[in-house]
Amino acid sequence: MHELKIAEELSVIVIDKAREAGLSVVERVNISFGQLVQIVPEIFEFAFREAVRDTIAADAALNIEIISLEMRCLSCGAEYAPADNFPACRSCGGLEITVVHGKELFIKSIEGE
Amino acid sequence: MTMEIRIMKNILDRNQNKADEVRNLLAEKKVKMVNIISSPGAGKTTLLERTCEALAGKINIGIIEGDVTTDRDAQRLKKYNIPIVVINTEGGCHLDSHSISKVIGMFDLDNLDLLFVENVGNLICPSVFDLGENFKLAVVSTAEGDDKPAKYPRLFIEAMAVILNKTDLIPHTNFNIEAFKTDLAAINPGIPLFKISATRGDGLQGWLDWIVQQLDS
Repeated sequence: MHELKIAEELSVIVIDKAREAGLSVVERVNISFGQLVQIVPEIFEFAFREAVRDTIAADAALNIEIISLEMRCLSCGAEYAPADNFPACRSCGGLEITVVHGKELFIKSIEGE
Repeated sequence: MTMEIRIMKNILDRNQNKADEVRNLLAEKKVKMVNIISSPGAGKTTLLERTCEALAGKINIGIIEGDVTTDRDAQRLKKYNIPIVVINTEGGCHLDSHSISKVIGMFDLDNLDLLFVENVGNLICPSVFDLGENFKLAVVSTAEGDDKPAKYPRLFIEAMAVILNKTDLIPHTNFNIEAFKTDLAAINPGIPLFKISATRGDGLQGWLDWIVQQLDS
């Protein structure tokens, strides 16, 4: 249920930024989650709804983009999507690898007027 | 008229900033912090009991006990005469860097070498929140099944070492150690794995030697 805390943090940023920009209503919130964050979108939606209740973002639609896991091989430099959580390099079989995408947890933008 | 305001910001920015503050403070004080993550009942507290038994008195250990409620784990560790601070999350499923930052001043950091944080028992949520630790330690027990690395990859990708506890129970379970090792090696090749029975004391020496080595790294 890390969704609750993340939704709460998101609501603070959304409302802050909306005020800064002089919006009176937030219509849409665009966010990206990496696959490794293991967010359940339905739970996140519910948690966000609670966090923004009675605010200018109460009716904002959540647009969640899920970013797939992508690794980089430290031996040959290949970047690739691992198969079924088995991240060995698909080009050279190398095992010294690092996560390039999959841990994202960011707000891209808000839309409103 | 509708307009779009670009933000491009980590949603957990506030947690990250506080974690970095904690990390800088501990680096300055030369304290290593270990964030211990496991399911409930995997044996985190028993591991800490055995570790304190062997090392308290030789190195200065402190413990932050994260629990949803009660101070039962802290009560178990009191006998080692080390500083322990309890954080009750009151229903929260993980610790965050703000909760650590609030209690870190309760330790005498000038006289501390190693600070263990026993996170709330949970394999998903704690792995998302940086506490300012030097590294995460994953603890998994044989009674949970051999599929945990494959099902909870984030924790096993981020962990610096894995403890497989309750090896004495393997004959009574369907735990397949080769399958476990294969999955783990695929997710985090080369990660140190310590196979122990914290209750019986089997395999502890390798872990104790390793954790002491980390103090110099």
